[in-house]
Amino acid sequence: MVVLLAAVVIGGLVWLVRRNRGGVRTGRARTGDAGPGFPDRPLGGKRVPPALMPGGRIDVRGLTKEYGGVRAVDDLSFTVEPGRVTGFLGPNGAGKTTTLRMLLGLVEPTAGTATIGGVRYADLDQPIRRVGAILEAGAAHPYRTGRSHLRILCQSAGLPLARADEVLELAGLGAAGNRLFRGYSFGMRQRLGVAAALLGDPQVLILDEPANGLDPEGIRWMRDLLRTVALQGRTILVSSHLLGEMEQLADDLVIIAAGRLTAQGPVASVIGSLPYLGRTLVRSPGLEKLAAVLGGDAVVTPDGDGGAYITGADAVAIGDAALRAGVAIYQLVTERPDLEAAFLELTAGKAAIR
Amino acid sequence: MRGLLDSAALDQAGDTGTTLVRLIRAEFMKIRTTDTGWFFLIGFIAFTALALTINGFSIHYQLYPQRGSGDRAQALAQAAQARTPAGVAAISASMMTSGQRIGVIFALLLGVLIITSEFANQTAAVTFVTVPGRATVIRAKLAAAACCGALFWLVGTVIAAVATPLFLYSQHVGISLAGWTVVRPVLLSLLAFVAWGVFGLGLGAVLRSQIASLFAALAVYAGSFGAILVFTMLYNLFHQGWMLGAPVIAPAIASEVMTTSGPAFPQAPPAWAGGLILTGYVVALAAAGLVVTKRRDVI
Repeated sequence: MVVLLAAVVIGGLVWLVRRNRGGVRTGRARTGDAGPGFPDRPLGGKRVPPALMPGGRIDVRGLTKEYGGVRAVDDLSFTVEPGRVTGFLGPNGAGKTTTLRMLLGLVEPTAGTATIGGVRYADLDQPIRRVGAILEAGAAHPYRTGRSHLRILCQSAGLPLARADEVLELAGLGAAGNRLFRGYSFGMRQRLGVAAALLGDPQVLILDEPANGLDPEGIRWMRDLLRTVALQGRTILVSSHLLGEMEQLADDLVIIAAGRLTAQGPVASVIGSLPYLGRTLVRSPGLEKLAAVLGGDAVVTPDGDGGAYITGADAVAIGDAALRAGVAIYQLVTERPDLEAAFLELTAGKAAIR
Repeated sequence: MRGLLDSAALDQAGDTGTTLVRLIRAEFMKIRTTDTGWFFLIGFIAFTALALTINGFSIHYQLYPQRGSGDRAQALAQAAQARTPAGVAAISASMMTSGQRIGVIFALLLGVLIITSEFANQTAAVTFVTVPGRATVIRAKLAAAACCGALFWLVGTVIAAVATPLFLYSQHVGISLAGWTVVRPVLLSLLAFVAWGVFGLGLGAVLRSQIASLFAALAVYAGSFGAILVFTMLYNLFHQGWMLGAPVIAPAIASEVMTTSGPAFPQAPPAWAGGLILTGYVVALAAAGLVVTKRRDVI
């Protein structure tokens, strides 16, 4: 009798645990589903001056986290301004997630401070009304519906439960609200995460790899959403290792590698400050004459196809030189160093695994 | 400030209770909105029905000994004893708490799941971002686990309270459920259910891993009975009298000692000692769960 009962209990538990895990796997298998149709610009964005959004500045000072002798985050300092999208970039293992978790009070810093509007997250009054966060790709219980998941968060935070339906619509999940989370595609899970982050209509959004696993349509939706809320004067801090995405999305960049700050500033200035300069492709019948007129700083490297790459002189200088030399120019193309190159340059040699 | 959606809902009031009350309600929503809680409830009802049936049969054979089954004279004497008022009260108490000694495992495991499913499904981060006061979240979960334990007890007791009079009537013995002999074990059983629910939650908060916590909980419960074996062996070696009562230090034995009318085993300490020891474990685990959750990083 006892043995039989024990067998039933243990068998039942194994089934429950495996079933819950299976749910996640099923969902992952459906990655790439477009999901229901989503509006491209879900929000009627109107610019609100940052002055109307007090307390939206994120301030990280000397933030450090040590795990058993390894410094995951090492004396990190940066600020994130309201009304702008700030991209938080770094290779995998650079300490991005740890930094965001310290900012949200989930991980206790070894040293330093991380504040939002001058206040630690844990000390915020009604934090969900001030800060929205996406972590863990919108994680939820596989056997709970999206709507229930959001209603529980409303209940926990003291928000009216009806707000759950509003953000479901906002995230384009209205039709899927009563479906179990395990049946959501990866894109739908991310949208549920966005919906949860928007519950309190917060002035600060902190998103950990929100575009990860999204299809192109989902990425565009996310980009439009973040642009719109930034225009409203909100603070957006979004981590990513999708460099091209950040180049299109972010106003400012904070780049870290091996837990340390590598670069910070507006996108253009971060790229412009690089030692890696652009090169210019030139096609001309008089390349030798051109090289002679350009002078010492310019380096001309034939591309083996009748043209040459010139570094050390920009398109204006090359054009002027060609005029002086009386040489015809058939093609003049400036190859700008892109964010990808900047990123690799800045984080080179700082291995992800330490 | 302009609302993100010109939200009509955000202008309405939410739950205006204190944070703890709000969070306890949220915990009940969590349990209600997945099927795990319902599986446990249905399982518990089925288990209680099974236990009542088995218990009923065994009492029936005690009241009406079968011919040719062992010492007939002794069996008849026992049957006569069972029909005295004291005997009927004992039978009633046994029926009213049918299966509840093992049934507390349902409260124990649900307590474990209330906390560990947050970590297994990675919802802990969302929960603690929504409410940064982690200690308050754990207090709400402790309260929810205690309430779930009480709910299991209530369901089991209501089923038993319907079945027991019918059974006694069918066996042609008097029906008396109001006496202290019956009410006492029923109330102590409530204590046990609440205690094991909280025990499970504390254990899960400390261990975090769902599978490890579930099996640790089962191992603690089942392993407790090994304590009797161990201390009996020790007694045989060292002949110290206290060793026979010592198994009460194991949580499940303490629970058994608390809920059993009369000694749970020879030389068992009094019921209050069992209750005290079980309470000690529960308080210690709940406190450990609170401290650990407050201090440990959520990663």
